[in-house]
Amino acid sequence: MSIIRIRRRWRIGTMVLAMALGAAACSGSGSGDAGAGSKPPTDGVLTMGLLGDIGQPPDPDIYYANNGTAIMINVYEGLVQYQNNTDQVKIAPRLATSWTVSRDNSVYTFHLRHGVTFHDGTPFTSAAIEPSFQRRVAVKGGAAYMVAGVKSVQTPDPYTAVITLDKPNSAFLSYLASPFGPKMESPTALTKYAGGDHDQKYLSTHDVGTGPYELTSAVSGTKYVLTQYKGYWGPKSPITTVNLPVYSSAAPLQLALDNGDVSAVVAALPSSSLSHFASDPNVRNYFLPTLQSSLLTLNPSKSFFASKQARLAFLRSVDQQKLVSQVLGKRSSVATTLYAKGMIPGDADKQDITYDPSVMAGYAKNLPSGTTMTIGYANGNPNAQNIAEILVAQMQADGIKATAQGYDTATVFSWPQQPTKGPDAFVDGNNGPDGGDPYMWGHVFWDASGGIDYFACDVPQVDAELNQAVKTGDTALYVKAAEQYSAGGCYMNLSYNKDWIVAQKWLTGVPQSQNLGANELNFSLLGIAK
Amino acid sequence: MNRFVLWRTGATAVLLAVLSALVFVLQQISPGDPARAYVGGNASPAAVAAAHHRLGLDQPWLQRYGRYLWHALHGDLGISLRTHRPVTTDLGQFLPATAELVLFSFVLALLLALLFALSGALRWPGTGVYRGLLLLAGTAPAFLLGLGGIVLFYGHLHWLPEAGRGVDTSSPTGFVLVDSLLHADLTGFVAGLRHLVLPGLALAIAPAISIGRILRAGLERAYRSDYVRTARSKGIREITVLWRHIVRNSLDATLSMAGLQLGFMFAGVVIVEDVFTWPGIGYYLAQSIPQSDFPAIAGVTLLLGGVYIVVNAVVDVLQAVADPRLTV
Repeated sequence: MSIIRIRRRWRIGTMVLAMALGAAACSGSGSGDAGAGSKPPTDGVLTMGLLGDIGQPPDPDIYYANNGTAIMINVYEGLVQYQNNTDQVKIAPRLATSWTVSRDNSVYTFHLRHGVTFHDGTPFTSAAIEPSFQRRVAVKGGAAYMVAGVKSVQTPDPYTAVITLDKPNSAFLSYLASPFGPKMESPTALTKYAGGDHDQKYLSTHDVGTGPYELTSAVSGTKYVLTQYKGYWGPKSPITTVNLPVYSSAAPLQLALDNGDVSAVVAALPSSSLSHFASDPNVRNYFLPTLQSSLLTLNPSKSFFASKQARLAFLRSVDQQKLVSQVLGKRSSVATTLYAKGMIPGDADKQDITYDPSVMAGYAKNLPSGTTMTIGYANGNPNAQNIAEILVAQMQADGIKATAQGYDTATVFSWPQQPTKGPDAFVDGNNGPDGGDPYMWGHVFWDASGGIDYFACDVPQVDAELNQAVKTGDTALYVKAAEQYSAGGCYMNLSYNKDWIVAQKWLTGVPQSQNLGANELNFSLLGIAK
Repeated sequence: MNRFVLWRTGATAVLLAVLSALVFVLQQISPGDPARAYVGGNASPAAVAAAHHRLGLDQPWLQRYGRYLWHALHGDLGISLRTHRPVTTDLGQFLPATAELVLFSFVLALLLALLFALSGALRWPGTGVYRGLLLLAGTAPAFLLGLGGIVLFYGHLHWLPEAGRGVDTSSPTGFVLVDSLLHADLTGFVAGLRHLVLPGLALAIAPAISIGRILRAGLERAYRSDYVRTARSKGIREITVLWRHIVRNSLDATLSMAGLQLGFMFAGVVIVEDVFTWPGIGYYLAQSIPQSDFPAIAGVTLLLGGVYIVVNAVVDVLQAVADPRLTV
């Protein structure tokens, strides 16, 4: 055989290989076959793309992270929830149809919904409340604090529960309404699958809730599948299956939405994609209210911001309007209050920081030449990075050697214990409280014992006022605490952030299925337009 | 030879211990707080402190390292702070996907390398375009190649899928292609193949060039050698000359390079898996690092390090078998 014949055979071989690969590429019914946009599903399957894995097991007493709340609020139900389709903080019924609160905010009486069953068929009665609370305390998750103050749960009848707290707490209803709040779990299933770890192994792949969907598959890092619970007490949705595939980055998720392989994306795409989807005729964009904000926190433990004068000068140099319009766009609006939007009636908690860059410019002139400072942001949050870079450019214009630096989540959360290891300032692109009560905001962000007072900029008087206000629910005291904290110059509420939801045109009921506390949709309230 | 194998095995164990110690030291000096990953972002300092105690993070690091090594020797790599499952369970779930991707990419790399080398050494007309394209693609980092592939073949052409493996789970082997064949599921096989093409290419191209260059140099040397000329003059068929005398005599250095590249592929798979949401141990690692999930990070590091060391040790041993002078 000559070398020419070898070449010919080789060419034939490569052609066959190319044809095989081409056939593989073009055949099948994989996720890449859809064209732009998509037709309404006839099989009732909804695909909601997740950006990144849910991060923790889908266990309602463990889960305390981000996008996994889509599972929490659709598989489990609490006694109450936040009202859907409003920008006001209002508690609405869920498994409890009504409730009363004692004058001193220490006894909460709930009247429960009839005809509710858990996914294992066990009827939901008041007997389920105490075991659910006890399990939450036993597994010691991050949100166990919500029921730590429960002294007793009395059940005078199967549909009445009287919860007594060990001290007055006006935020307790907000705890119960939180997506991270205590959910009702089948006492039968809890006993059956308890094992040696309070059901933790079982609940990493199964559920014991009453919600409109059951968790039928949970493959960490890959996909979660919810299937409609036939015995659900509420309205029946045409959506019978919800797939929650995980995407590691925004680009393929956006392409999947473009191609119609993903039905909707909730609060996961970067602001840089706003214009792309704004002009896409195949989708609808929704900007729905949340309790989330972009926050700017200054570090008094670092020399640059050791003085209140420096902190206040810097905060006055921040052009909120410009940052919101340039970086965040339609998904945010300028924050004018110290708490989240709607937490304090009448916006009495006004943020009083007047924009005046000349104050910082004047302050910078008196600094030693070559003074440096760092503005941090959380890795993976392009909005925060853009804001940090704009602020850095502004500081450089004032003659300060400023730099922007990204930090991993775990590093960010280590600062409250070691604030000197943090940057001089930190842009938190999106964060919020567990619920809509002002105590849940003030305690978490301003009190060093709260959780994410990043640089431990703590004012004992403010802590005391917050602790007093939560007993009575005194709005004026909440406002006073906020104003005192703001006067220290450690904090600025930059913007009110919204849930930017991009959905295929056929998906209906999006605003009606969202509430400001959940950051996810109740899939059972969605519809499919024909 | 036995002493050589024993020496390599011992060295492998020491290297793995050093690797785990390095990860421990890195965790010790890194500012992240692993307990936060365990209880969640907004957890109170009291909840975080309680988690510290439960996880033993309040003990001296040497004590923790000693306990970790002892447990690791017994097959217990701890509990992932993120997934709350045993790390060995997680690795068992994610490893088959990585192994399938790497092996697929390795075969792809060998085929591309063979084509690269043969077409260059034998001066096949019209193949310069192929070599040029391969070299061009090889200059791009794997993540860029992956993203470019997704945009072109998924976003615009709609030929190939953008992410995942096409199935959520696969049994009994965990290899989608193998399992679908075992179940006579042609649709599943094609879907698995389609999902493998883009990440496989992104991972294979750079190694293909490295292997192909070495093979091409060997082929060109052998092609002009006296023994090949002698074989031809004896009237041996050209195809026999090519495979028996040219290719086989060019494989020595190529095998070394291929082994090295296979090890590199296991290390480089992290980025490719993250780009394609490929549910393997690289993706698992990429998700674990930002949350300082130390047991997961250490487990993957030990596994990948072990694979790399073992692959190289096997190559060393094979070379020693082929050329006993190396053991002297």
